[in-house]
Amino acid sequence: MSSVGEKWRGAKSRAAQSGIPDLDAHVDFCRRAEACGIDSVLTAFGFHRADPIVLASALGMLTTKIKFMVAVRSGVCSPTVLVQQVNTLSALTNGRICLNVVGGHTPNEQKGYGDFLSHDDRYARTDEFLTVCRAFWEGDGPVNFKGNYYHIENGRLNTPFVAPDRSGPEIFLGGSSPQAFGLAARHAHCLWTLPRRPEEMAPRIKALLESGTEVGILASMIARPSRKEALSAAQSLLAEVGDRARKTHQDFSRVSDSVAFTSTLALAEENSSGWLTDWLWTGAVPYLGAPAIALVGSYDEVSDGILEFTRAGVTQFLFLGWPDVPEMTAFNEEVRPRVLAQYGADLDISLRGRI
Amino acid sequence: MNEEAELNRGLRFHWRLLQGGEIRGVTTRATGASQRATGLPDLEHQIEFCRQAEKSGISGLLTDIGAAKPDPILLAAGLGLATERVEFIVAYRSGLTLPTTFVQQLNTLSALVNGRVSLNIVAGHSPLEQRYYGDYLAHRERYARTEEFLAICRAFWKNDGPVDFSGNYYRIEGGKLNTPFISPHRSYPELFIAGGSDDARNLAISQGTLWMRLADTPENLKVSVAPVLAAEKEVGLRMSIIARGSREEALHAAYGLLAGLDPSLRDGDKEKRFMLRSDSVSICETYALAEKEWLSPWLWTGAVRTHGAPAVALVGSYEEVAQALIEYARVGVTQFILSGWPKLDEMILFGSEVLPRVRKTVHQPQPLTNP
Repeated sequence: MSSVGEKWRGAKSRAAQSGIPDLDAHVDFCRRAEACGIDSVLTAFGFHRADPIVLASALGMLTTKIKFMVAVRSGVCSPTVLVQQVNTLSALTNGRICLNVVGGHTPNEQKGYGDFLSHDDRYARTDEFLTVCRAFWEGDGPVNFKGNYYHIENGRLNTPFVAPDRSGPEIFLGGSSPQAFGLAARHAHCLWTLPRRPEEMAPRIKALLESGTEVGILASMIARPSRKEALSAAQSLLAEVGDRARKTHQDFSRVSDSVAFTSTLALAEENSSGWLTDWLWTGAVPYLGAPAIALVGSYDEVSDGILEFTRAGVTQFLFLGWPDVPEMTAFNEEVRPRVLAQYGADLDISLRGRI
Repeated sequence: MNEEAELNRGLRFHWRLLQGGEIRGVTTRATGASQRATGLPDLEHQIEFCRQAEKSGISGLLTDIGAAKPDPILLAAGLGLATERVEFIVAYRSGLTLPTTFVQQLNTLSALVNGRVSLNIVAGHSPLEQRYYGDYLAHRERYARTEEFLAICRAFWKNDGPVDFSGNYYRIEGGKLNTPFISPHRSYPELFIAGGSDDARNLAISQGTLWMRLADTPENLKVSVAPVLAAEKEVGLRMSIIARGSREEALHAAYGLLAGLDPSLRDGDKEKRFMLRSDSVSICETYALAEKEWLSPWLWTGAVRTHGAPAVALVGSYEEVAQALIEYARVGVTQFILSGWPKLDEMILFGSEVLPRVRKTVHQPQPLTNP
């Protein structure tokens, strides 16, 4: 969401990015995403961005179909407050909200919020946080909870989660560490993780899938009519962002404790070819960050890549493009029909865009 | 500019936002916590209410906080996009959200509504409700924490580098936000500090821009607001209004308010139970004031027992109510958060009948009453 109007946002350090929302541009983006059949847009969380749930409330008032996947961190508010905000947003948008729960990736940033916990403790706290939230959504009486991080007594809220078909939001959980997998199995509908080769992913996600949690990947896409055009687009992307961006992400990696982000950056630095498979490219990761790991190729190749992930058990996709709108359009017109033709109409594949 | 013109220019009138379940012609009690409908935004009627407020010369709308209500920041974002001029006075309390997150949310809201946002900081009035949110502090400590909370918020709003803070309740290291408070006029929101205790008044002086308290007679107010005015902070009053074409009609409406209640509410038991559990000084004091039904010829406490502490009401003809407001202005009150029964109907009358009389009167040179 917050890359709207800033094509090379990912190439800048977080401190240099504007946090002032451009409402018209965001609304325009959401409407284009709606027109492209995108199910939901991610509104991310970070000190350098506008607050995602407030922004989603505003955009929800100006759109009709698109869902907002609101990033949530434990440790920045009481779980009761989060439930009250999520429920309020659901009432304003008729349920067009789901959550992307993230653990935080940079201790320095966490400290600016007053959060001094380590990576593993943050996951333990998030576990309690989600237990409390779900008690509000799934229980039918006052919420009582006493743990190491939260103590709630007779919690009640008059604002229910409002949706045609649910009593609480879908919960997505981001991460690649064992703690993230464990937490997803306990609380989430779906784990967002960064892609690896499908045959590597299949055994890693097997237990999670068996626990009934879906797995989704967060990735970039560069799909063109021919492989040659896609490669050329990928190369010009690198040429445009340049080496300064590379240093930005090396600097970020040194201060981050996110397993998903740092392991992907390390993988990209080690892998001199830039290719994990014929169509899975890490070449832009050192310049644009871990989510720039990309499916690159012709429309046929990219849709085949998506299908390979589905065979490994992946059922949700959250794509970003450089820039987003043309990629989203190509996805809608060229890639999605190819995927669905082979996947079959009875399979539930949600396609999600990130702004 | 003479003093009266200055007085008038500075006077601002706000109203309580309409809540879910409160539609035109329907009266609800002040606390409303027992009513399920208050938990749901009612966009259609609330937007209509906001637009009427703009037409009626109302500057801001108080957006409540509490477990019985929708989240006030998000509701203000939703309503702000459907309106042009009216401000949202977001009620908030510490102990819910860390200050960095709160500033980020409020700044985002300001950017979306072009600065039409101010804050009404409350300490919380119900220990039981605080526990829903995981907050177990007693009254006095809540004020100490709120002081730290606001000090951190103000450090972010200064916007001159990373925020570091180490106190008893919060520790922030290198705090940065890329979303500033956006407004054509201000670099941070107006900060109303609400509460009748000395703690609240001191907090208003140290961190606020205005002390918001419940009504008393102008003579009594004069004493209590003196330190606030001396510190060059504003004073605001929260009260209700029953203004009609004649004093007789107003009295009839006031007593009709009590007569119209269903018997289970009229005995005041629900309000009393709420009051007994509250540790809010102003709510308890106002309840005590209500022992005397008329504090002045136009200041009525008759509805406090059934409608809650903010139901202390100015009752009278349009002219009498206008004059009463001017009396408050003379002792230094510059902003009012008003309400009535029903909320929308009273606001329309206020805008068309009372407000023009206030503006007209204070435009005319008059000697200020001496202390």
